[in-house]
Amino acid sequence: MTREREPYLNRVELLQGTLDMLILQTLQWGAQHGYGISQALRAQSGEVLQVETGSLYPALHRMERQGWIVSKWGQTEQKQRAKYYRITVEGKKQLARDRSKWETMVAAIGNILTPTTES
Amino acid sequence: MPLWSRIFRPERAKSDLDAEIESHFALAAADKHDRGLAPEAARRAAEREFGNAALVKDVVRRIWGWVWLESLQQDIKYALRQLRRSRGFSAAVIATLAFGIGAATAMFTVVDQVLFTPLPYAQPDRLVTIAEASIHGKPDFDRGAAYLDLRQWQQQNKTFAQLAYYITGSRGNFLEGSGGSVEVHLTNVSPNFFGTLGVRPRLGHGFDEEVEPFPDGKNANTIVLSDAAWQQMYGGDATILGKDVMLNGQAYAVVGVMPKGFAFGGERDWRQVWTTVHLDEEDQGRKNRSRGYRAIGRLKDGVALAAAQADLKTLQAQIVKSYQDPDVREERASVIVRRYADSIVETDLRRALIALLAAAGVLWLIACVNVTNLFLVRATARQREIAVRGALGASRGRIIRQLVAEGLVLSGAASLLGSLLALGAITLFEKQIPSHLRLEVSASANGTILLALVGLTLLSTVFSSLWPSFLAARMPIEPALRQGGQQSGTNRSQHRIRSSLVIAEIAMSLTLLAACGLLLRTIYALRHVPLGFRTDHIMVANLTIPAYRFAHRNMTTELYQPLLERVQHLPGVQAATLMTEVPLGQTFHMVLSLAGEGYGAHRTEDNSIKSNFRAVTPEAQQVFGFTMLRGRYFNQQDTAGSQPVAVVNGAFARLYAPNQQNLSSVLGIHLLSMRKNQPVEVVGVLDDARQNSITQPEPEAEICLSQMTPDSNSYLAVEGRAMDLALRTQRPIASITPELRSLLLQASPEFANATFTNMDQVVADSYGNQTLAAHLLEVFGGTALLLCVTGLYGLLAYVVAQRTREIGLRIALGAQRWQALWLILRQAGVLIIAGVIIGIVLALASGRFVRGFLYGVAEHDVWTLMIVALVLLVSGGLAAYFPARKAAKVNPIEALRAE
Repeated sequence: MTREREPYLNRVELLQGTLDMLILQTLQWGAQHGYGISQALRAQSGEVLQVETGSLYPALHRMERQGWIVSKWGQTEQKQRAKYYRITVEGKKQLARDRSKWETMVAAIGNILTPTTES
Repeated sequence: MPLWSRIFRPERAKSDLDAEIESHFALAAADKHDRGLAPEAARRAAEREFGNAALVKDVVRRIWGWVWLESLQQDIKYALRQLRRSRGFSAAVIATLAFGIGAATAMFTVVDQVLFTPLPYAQPDRLVTIAEASIHGKPDFDRGAAYLDLRQWQQQNKTFAQLAYYITGSRGNFLEGSGGSVEVHLTNVSPNFFGTLGVRPRLGHGFDEEVEPFPDGKNANTIVLSDAAWQQMYGGDATILGKDVMLNGQAYAVVGVMPKGFAFGGERDWRQVWTTVHLDEEDQGRKNRSRGYRAIGRLKDGVALAAAQADLKTLQAQIVKSYQDPDVREERASVIVRRYADSIVETDLRRALIALLAAAGVLWLIACVNVTNLFLVRATARQREIAVRGALGASRGRIIRQLVAEGLVLSGAASLLGSLLALGAITLFEKQIPSHLRLEVSASANGTILLALVGLTLLSTVFSSLWPSFLAARMPIEPALRQGGQQSGTNRSQHRIRSSLVIAEIAMSLTLLAACGLLLRTIYALRHVPLGFRTDHIMVANLTIPAYRFAHRNMTTELYQPLLERVQHLPGVQAATLMTEVPLGQTFHMVLSLAGEGYGAHRTEDNSIKSNFRAVTPEAQQVFGFTMLRGRYFNQQDTAGSQPVAVVNGAFARLYAPNQQNLSSVLGIHLLSMRKNQPVEVVGVLDDARQNSITQPEPEAEICLSQMTPDSNSYLAVEGRAMDLALRTQRPIASITPELRSLLLQASPEFANATFTNMDQVVADSYGNQTLAAHLLEVFGGTALLLCVTGLYGLLAYVVAQRTREIGLRIALGAQRWQALWLILRQAGVLIIAGVIIGIVLALASGRFVRGFLYGVAEHDVWTLMIVALVLLVSGGLAAYFPARKAAKVNPIEALRAE
């Protein structure tokens, strides 16, 4: 099979690599299904971040394959069937790594955008 | 869902993903409904918001790698559809490969069962046999070692975990079961025998290993039964332990029943029984003629064969000093140790089987080459289709996979058919195999064979379809699309490849056919050897003698003479004789060993003459029509009271006669002694009849059965084991059998087990491996010829189709028909002649593989090679003629208008 990368996979509305982190962060509070995750991200970002389902589900399945999250069918409070994702120990480690990378990045970008005048 | 089920059950994983996305819709719709949207509008809004669900699914599936499996499934489905559409092609490929795979599988099954089936003992590779060898290192595996020698090996070796010994009982042992007396295969063993083999009885404890058989102690009159004997003779009686059974009229207590499948020597379903070795005074000395036991030992862990041999050699150097006779000291100076497994299958047979397996492999290769050619043609025919697929975006890998999938489907079908063919062939040959190979082979599949079958299938695919697929996929797309129709470019290199494949096929077929031809000539030569005796109208009954019934009686006068008398008086019987073994028989072979004697110039290095030995009645000459070179045959005047006489043959006389110029000088010589102080005198020399081996006359000595009495030397060995009754009659065997059987039953009830045959059959059986090998090679060679002829035909037919336009043009421009004919024939001629020349080289090179089978023909026989080459030339010419004639009949107008 050819190894060309699917362009769709890379077209993420968020900053490259941040979606995984945000999903893992959301799952920190407990198991959640795909729709729940997208709603939570929207609500918590103050309706700013709109996660496209076209990115969400591939991301979920990719992370499940990595072993960062596991899935299980369950029932919502409204008694509807849904597939719930839960973060694993490995996923928590990954979240910590992503986070520290993110913080370094934010600090670095901040430094560039607001240069201190000390010399 | 666990990973494995995602990978191996893509169907389920797929529906899981569908369900997940469906549940997303439902949740989103419910949410929107809560916010006041009508249910249908909510649903629509949710779907709109989601975007392209199919694309999401596709991306997710790709993440899990299901696409690969799905497209494989697709490939196979597509392959099946393609193959259904071209039935002729599929049938040709499947039939061709099925022959190749079938032949290879059948041969492999036989080889696997005969050579590679592990023995039913614990760690059989640690078991070795030990034989004494002469100072020159020549081992005598038949003679066995004296008890005292063995005892010393047992006690003083440093390399064996256990060492046991045994004597395989001769014929004539009868066990009384619920259904009468039946012959059994008896082996006398040392008490630690089963322990050494590492097999425990399924019932009972077996022999008491603590007790050495001297004196017998607790092991006296105890017996261990094989599962077959227990089941067949005592109906698997679970309470048999401790009960007495009657062996040769004596009571033995059963102390063990061996597990199913256990056997030692002989065939697996024989009724075998074991008692302990019974030692007597004879075993307490070291004389030349001491009773010989065969030794089997288990090496200590980590000890190599060579180390064990060195260990025993050192020991034997000490032991042999106890022998008085210097000749015997030389004869037993050394020791040879070899793996027990290697001692079971004769080297000749091993070579034969491997040569036949190689022949089957060549046939398989020819089949593969043929199929490769078919695939190449097909790939050319499908050039446009493949180009279109490439133009539509299929990658090269994808196209190859598609084509290989087709190959795989075809080889799969072929191996299914092939294994059926193999099964059929084995079942068909099953009855022949034991008589030719003296081995038991059954048409059963096991893991190894299935593995071999799968391997053959995959290899066939790789050979025959992978390569054409690569070629096809490498074709540039654009020219194939631009040029239209059938005439489009076959490129030169492809044509060269196809021609070389046909040449290879012809060469390999010639090799097989040459081997087949040599064997056929061998069989012809064997059938035309003057045997020196008549074989027509002779019926033979093989008898096993229940000697225990005649203990303390004279078998000569009370069993044999009356029996012979009655048989001679049966209507239609011209003459009848008893002999220990009929000429070329394979029932009861006796060897006379004359050590340290002899006069001839051909005395062997260890001064002993080995000769075949028979006891016969005087009527043998009337039955078999032996001719005398010198002196006389036995007659009615040779009785127990007269001078004991012997007859030898020319080969014997040449070894033994004091005067080599005059074979008559052997007459009057004393050979051996009939009784104490009563030597046997040679009174006649037989012409060199092939009594023991068709291929060459062997030394032969005969004594007169009617002169034997219970006090004769070797009386029991000669009279009490087995006897063949041969009678000359014009009546068909079927009509005389019942009368003969009732006569035999009157003589002794055990004769119910007698088997009947005729002399022609005995002679045919003695041809041995050659017959089977020749039959197999006839099949292989014939198939190979057929395959290479069709291969050649296919190639030329294709060439003609390709060049129709060109030929049409040539004819239109004034070329003669014969020139068109010649055009194709010339091309065929180049292929055939090249193939034949390479084939002759191959046949000459592989001659040494068949050398061992040949008789009366050299492995580089010019005539055989010429005839085989001629056969190929003629059949190749025929295969070429039809396409060539088609080329000559090309109608130029039609050929040029087409397109």
